[in-house]
Amino acid sequence: MADSEMFATVLFRLGPLEITGTVVTTWGIIVLLGLSARLLSRRLQLQPGPVQLLAEGIVTTIEDAIRTVAPDHVRLLMPFIASLWIFLVVANLAGLIPGLHSPTRDLSATAALAILVFLSVHLFGIRSQGLKNYLRHYLTPSPILLPFHIISEITRTIALAVRLFGNIMSLETAALLILLVAGFLAPIPILMLHIIEALVQAYIFGMLALIYVAGGLQSQQLRQQSKGESS
Amino acid sequence: MELSGSTFLLEMINFLVLIWLLQRFFYKPLQAVIARRRAGIEQQLADAQTMKQQAQQLQSQYENRLNHWEQERQQARETLQQELNRERARQEAVLQVSLDQAREKARVSLQRREQALLLQLEQQALRQASRFATRVLEHSAGPELESRLLALLLESLPQLASEQRQALREQEAEHPEPVEIRSAFALESSAREQLQQSLQQLLDRTIECHFIEDPALLAGLRISIGPWLLRASLQDELQSFADVALATNNSVGPCHGPDSQTQAAADE
Repeated sequence: MADSEMFATVLFRLGPLEITGTVVTTWGIIVLLGLSARLLSRRLQLQPGPVQLLAEGIVTTIEDAIRTVAPDHVRLLMPFIASLWIFLVVANLAGLIPGLHSPTRDLSATAALAILVFLSVHLFGIRSQGLKNYLRHYLTPSPILLPFHIISEITRTIALAVRLFGNIMSLETAALLILLVAGFLAPIPILMLHIIEALVQAYIFGMLALIYVAGGLQSQQLRQQSKGESS
Repeated sequence: MELSGSTFLLEMINFLVLIWLLQRFFYKPLQAVIARRRAGIEQQLADAQTMKQQAQQLQSQYENRLNHWEQERQQARETLQQELNRERARQEAVLQVSLDQAREKARVSLQRREQALLLQLEQQALRQASRFATRVLEHSAGPELESRLLALLLESLPQLASEQRQALREQEAEHPEPVEIRSAFALESSAREQLQQSLQQLLDRTIECHFIEDPALLAGLRISIGPWLLRASLQDELQSFADVALATNNSVGPCHGPDSQTQAAADE
């Protein structure tokens, strides 16, 4: 089992930057999604065709999911959360294509997404409540809980990154091992499991990100509601 | 498992670029189309609601109009019924008048027939009575009765009305003719002389008398002075009785000629 099969290798260098297969696959996914979106947006009609109907179904489903968690911030969260779900579904399923690997089997990619979620939580929270009010929620209900808040933020971000990486990495490794041991058609059930796991992991990552961001947005509201109930 | 800084950084940038691309070419256009469609649907719903309200208003208007028509129809039917009742009452009144007229006409006709029948019966009774009286008088007539009739005549001649007496005298003066005296039985000479004297006193002159025996008179006398007749016989009395009875029964009797007038005057 070569290292190139297990880990992302550097394909070329662009100045100080090392361009790995993960980055190139991500670029391919971005180009694919961008072109598809561009082609679809040029043919939009009030009476939708099958493709437009599928696209509208995806968008409205994601909007409904966001509205369920954060009903007051659908427009604000829609681009980030929807992009996470769409990218992760495509990225996780990209490993099914022969010769390609899922970008999410690379810890660097999942960590980058997790860090973006981490930053988004604070960015949307500060944008919604202001810096002072946002930081105040770390001291509630007691300043003693501040270290636990900080540890919670760090650990959940790490867990977000490692969970996605571990699941996708393990799926691809298991499929590769079965292919090496059992033959050409043996990994097909594992590949079907790969599809389900890819969808589930994309949903979990996006839903956790949504919950984290919505928690940062609504922390002040929850505080005000608790104050109102106590008074 | 190793963490590459370049991959980490590039992945962050890639994802941000993807967010921008999708926001630019996917979310916004689709959301705009969905918003336009929703606006169109809401507009259609609003239009449908407006049309529904208009339809309800029209329905209400038509229902009101139908109710109005129903009332007008009911009113027209009542008016027609009233006119029919009036026309029927009028026709019944006209028919009643016609029936009354026909009934009156039939009553009058029946009454006339009854009167005609009664008259016919009376005439028949009078004729039978006349025949019966004639038959009785024929058997009872004789010279004695004629003598009494002559006496009665002699008593009544001076009692004639002055107009009749004057008319007889003028007639005799204009047409001096012999006076014809008919009797059922032969008169004695004294009776003849007494009768001639009475006539001369009546006519105030000397006259010539012809005495004729006529059994058809049954009893009594008949004196002819020109066109005048002085009747004092049973036959004349019976005839007068029958004529008077017939004249009395015929309310519009036949015209009387000068003879009948003279006869009536002489009877008196």
